[in-house]
Amino acid sequence: MNRRRFPWLSYLLVVTGAVLTVVPFADMVMTSFKGPAEAGTLPYRFLPRAFDLSNYRAAVHQLDLPVLFRNSVVATALITGSVLLTSSLAGYALAKLRFPGRDLVFRLVLSTMMFPPFLFFIPHFLILVHWPLAGGNDLLGRGGAGLTVSIVALAMPFLVSSFGIFLTRQFMISIPDEVLEAARIDGAGEFTVWWRIVVPQTRPVLLTLGLLTFVDAWNEYIWALLVSTADPDVMTLPVGIQLLQDYVDPTRTMPIVMAGLVLSTLPILTLFLLLQKHYIRGVMLSGLK
Amino acid sequence: MVNATLTPETTRRAAPGAPATGIHGRDRRGRRQAVVAYLFLAPALLFFAVFLVLPLGFAVLLSTSRWAGFDLGDIQPVGLDNFAALFADGSTFLTPVLTNTLLFALGTVALALAGSVLVATCIDNLRFQGLWRTLYFLPIVTTVVAVGNVWKYMYEPGGLVNGVLNALGFGSVAFLQDPDTALPSVVVVQAWASVGSAILVLTAGLKSIPETYYEAAALDGAGPGTVFLRITLPLLRPSLVFVCVTQFLTGLQSFALIIVMTKGGPGDATEVAALEMYRQAFSYGDWGTASAAAFVLFAVVLTVTLAQLWFFRRRGEDV
Amino acid sequence: MTRTPRRRHVALALPSALLAAGCAAPSRGTGRTGDPIVLTLLSHYASGALKEALRGPVDEWNTTHDRVKVATKAVEFTDLLTTVMVRQAAGQGADLLHPYCLWNGQLVRAGVLRPAPAPHAAEIRRGYGAAAVGSASVDGTVYGYPTELQTYALYYNKRLLREAGVGGPPRTWRELEDTAYRTARRDRYGNTLVQGFGLSAFDDSTTVGQTLALLSTAGGRFVSPDGRRTDLDSAAGRAVFDLERRLVARGASDPGVNVYSAFASGQVAMVISAGWWTADLKSLMGRAYRDVGVVPVPLPEAGGERATLATGFMLGVNTAARHPREAWEFLRWLNTDKVRGTTRMSALQVSVGSLTGRADDMRTLLGAGADPNLRPFLDALGYAVPEPNMPGAQQAKSLLRKNIEALWTGRQSVDEALRTTRRQVDQEVARSW
Repeated sequence: MNRRRFPWLSYLLVVTGAVLTVVPFADMVMTSFKGPAEAGTLPYRFLPRAFDLSNYRAAVHQLDLPVLFRNSVVATALITGSVLLTSSLAGYALAKLRFPGRDLVFRLVLSTMMFPPFLFFIPHFLILVHWPLAGGNDLLGRGGAGLTVSIVALAMPFLVSSFGIFLTRQFMISIPDEVLEAARIDGAGEFTVWWRIVVPQTRPVLLTLGLLTFVDAWNEYIWALLVSTADPDVMTLPVGIQLLQDYVDPTRTMPIVMAGLVLSTLPILTLFLLLQKHYIRGVMLSGLK
Repeated sequence: MVNATLTPETTRRAAPGAPATGIHGRDRRGRRQAVVAYLFLAPALLFFAVFLVLPLGFAVLLSTSRWAGFDLGDIQPVGLDNFAALFADGSTFLTPVLTNTLLFALGTVALALAGSVLVATCIDNLRFQGLWRTLYFLPIVTTVVAVGNVWKYMYEPGGLVNGVLNALGFGSVAFLQDPDTALPSVVVVQAWASVGSAILVLTAGLKSIPETYYEAAALDGAGPGTVFLRITLPLLRPSLVFVCVTQFLTGLQSFALIIVMTKGGPGDATEVAALEMYRQAFSYGDWGTASAAAFVLFAVVLTVTLAQLWFFRRRGEDV
Repeated sequence: MTRTPRRRHVALALPSALLAAGCAAPSRGTGRTGDPIVLTLLSHYASGALKEALRGPVDEWNTTHDRVKVATKAVEFTDLLTTVMVRQAAGQGADLLHPYCLWNGQLVRAGVLRPAPAPHAAEIRRGYGAAAVGSASVDGTVYGYPTELQTYALYYNKRLLREAGVGGPPRTWRELEDTAYRTARRDRYGNTLVQGFGLSAFDDSTTVGQTLALLSTAGGRFVSPDGRRTDLDSAAGRAVFDLERRLVARGASDPGVNVYSAFASGQVAMVISAGWWTADLKSLMGRAYRDVGVVPVPLPEAGGERATLATGFMLGVNTAARHPREAWEFLRWLNTDKVRGTTRMSALQVSVGSLTGRADDMRTLLGAGADPNLRPFLDALGYAVPEPNMPGAQQAKSLLRKNIEALWTGRQSVDEALRTTRRQVDQEVARSW
């Protein structure tokens, strides 16, 4: 076969590319073990002199990692749970229920994907600040901090995903109507049909959607940075680590930053490697990333 | 972008309602189903009302107002002043900010596209495709804070990249400190981080090209270059368009990597529109200008996307 | 029938959970026994010696006062302005703010800062030098107690000068240049080993700060006295830009290097920077600190009139503070009450190697045994010019900084840099008023 005539060239290219991809991660791990006098000094050395765990201890101590972890976990869980729930509910309605305005609603969902996130950045923040009856606000949303001082602020703008609704709908369309109808004839209401039949049948797509959402939520930086600026108690892992990086003396803090980064990327990398098939299918389905 | 490629079956296949159980029964069930459907949709619709429609209106209001940002009663309408200020003489918004934004997006797309086409076509010939794809995918699931800091550190005088340069006998380069190299250096990182998903999309595209085309080409004695140009590339076009459009979109609006790596510096060598918007609002309290900048960037994003779709569609008719 | 409540449960669970989580408003106290008023104080004294130094007087206040307590919050300086603005927007502004005086115009225009009540304003005008009072005022109104006041002078490494055969620190720009060229060294890869004169793109202090310090020695000004346009595009501005451009072009300066760590590790011969740096250098350099010397900023010509830049911080009260009277009372206690002959703030600042605008306090505290390197900064209190702080001053400074960096890296000629700075700053400042 013609296009297999030069596999060595292909191998060379692909392996070189893979090395370029992996080396930064390796450098991150190596630097996390380097002592204060080793990092950033000339000439550059890839391997640390000794595998010293002191940077990890410093990261846990200086970064208050347990709190950062907790905030990241809570925000990510809120977002993922809410996206799965709302997507499968709305997806089911759009795929399998007949009601006036369905096409309009579906087109609305699709059109929301047209608006880039940065457009909503400022108004989202102000809406959370002026959320009525929260954080000391009155009914008109004045006088207090609104929702910005609570951990839900991290999750609020991401609770519903148009893409999630779209994805679940496309998947649910292929569920045979006969199955649903049989359940209805047996006296099951729509909620039971959704929970007992549709959700189990769409488990693969929900797993994929959950993974995509989880990874995005875990890695989110800009919004979390803003919310943590208003209330440092809800700081997430990426924000906390970047904050440490901003200290004056980079040569001393860089190894600690790297240690924090290793600890914060480990969970997500493990999850990805375990479930990569589902994740990769999701990206192929969406291509959105 | 999604509409363009992923909606082959959106509203065509109508979901059948209940089978006939008598006229009255169907009516009642239909109404009940409508109520149930809107209940199911309620959380999403409520969310869109509060976090999409309301913010859009608010953004429009802010972009035509002057406001210190602390008391809703103090919003003063100023018409299009904020937009005028963005393009006034001496304003840095058009150059270098918008030009940087476009260069950043263009550079990222070019690099990521070239890299992903190369790697995707090569992977297609190899064994262990899953392993390669997984490796190339690692940057995608990594937070931008990790990507940015690792590369920032590698670019430093005592970092890996300069270490390799010095070992090969080249002089050091102040990648992020020199304004001539800062933007390209950040572009490389953004492309590095996004090439994995492009490879995935292209791999899917390659898999859908029927083997018979290649067999026919082999019978005609076509060389690998000809096969690539005459068969692979044209048939890969939908995937290429998709990668191109989405990467361009991401490139135009992303600034997290830039905040992490350079904060827009040195000078304004890596200042981009979304970062400028962020700073105007949250550091300088100039919400009006920030909102106006957001709309200008939105207009640019729309124009660029539509232009690409138009261009590719026209080209498509020629082929 | 049993299905209906379940369905409603799903629909309502989310919003109500969200509301419940965000409902608690922070309690601020009433001031009665057992429920003291809590004043929050936001500063950039976030780490190290600064954090410790602030804790002293705050703890003292809290143990001696039952009705009013003070709670400190801190962020790094780079995040301070954004934090002040974002928390103010979120209704979370601290009662006591410790802004960089450059931002006073912006904060006053946005309605964040409360003017000092008349007795406090009189106290401030009486107790502090002109540069300090000017920094803490906007349009003639005083907005807070000046705290840390920084003046700029020339740091030099005695060992590097000696090794290059230079007799003493430079007094004129010509000597500065000669010394810079003689001390600079590079390795065969082009990596800088020693910079003669540290022009660092690393932060505002070393880019804009030293440029404005040099500008003032040449008799120039960044912004006109009314704060509405820039005066940089002048003979003095051109002279400073020419000097800096030459230093980079001839290899004596490497703007890509972080001058803070480089000077501390003996890789920079001279830098113009502010007084706070002495404390950092002492802790970073250990024994090598004895090589560090400080002299006033060199003058264009021998025998000219001394000048330099003064920048500073102040403690002010938020317009949103619920208990302004108590807040001002705390500030008076901290900044004017004397303990062992000086104010608590003066003692605090000197303990971390900084100065305040109270010259008498400084003379008392630096009288005997203090680091002699602080003297030039103290002397400069008499002749330093405050940094302009009109609305838009931070943007103007950022624009100036960008153009200076573009000048250093050769992206702009001296002419272009002067012209572009004028166009950009004029546009920005005009909009901010």
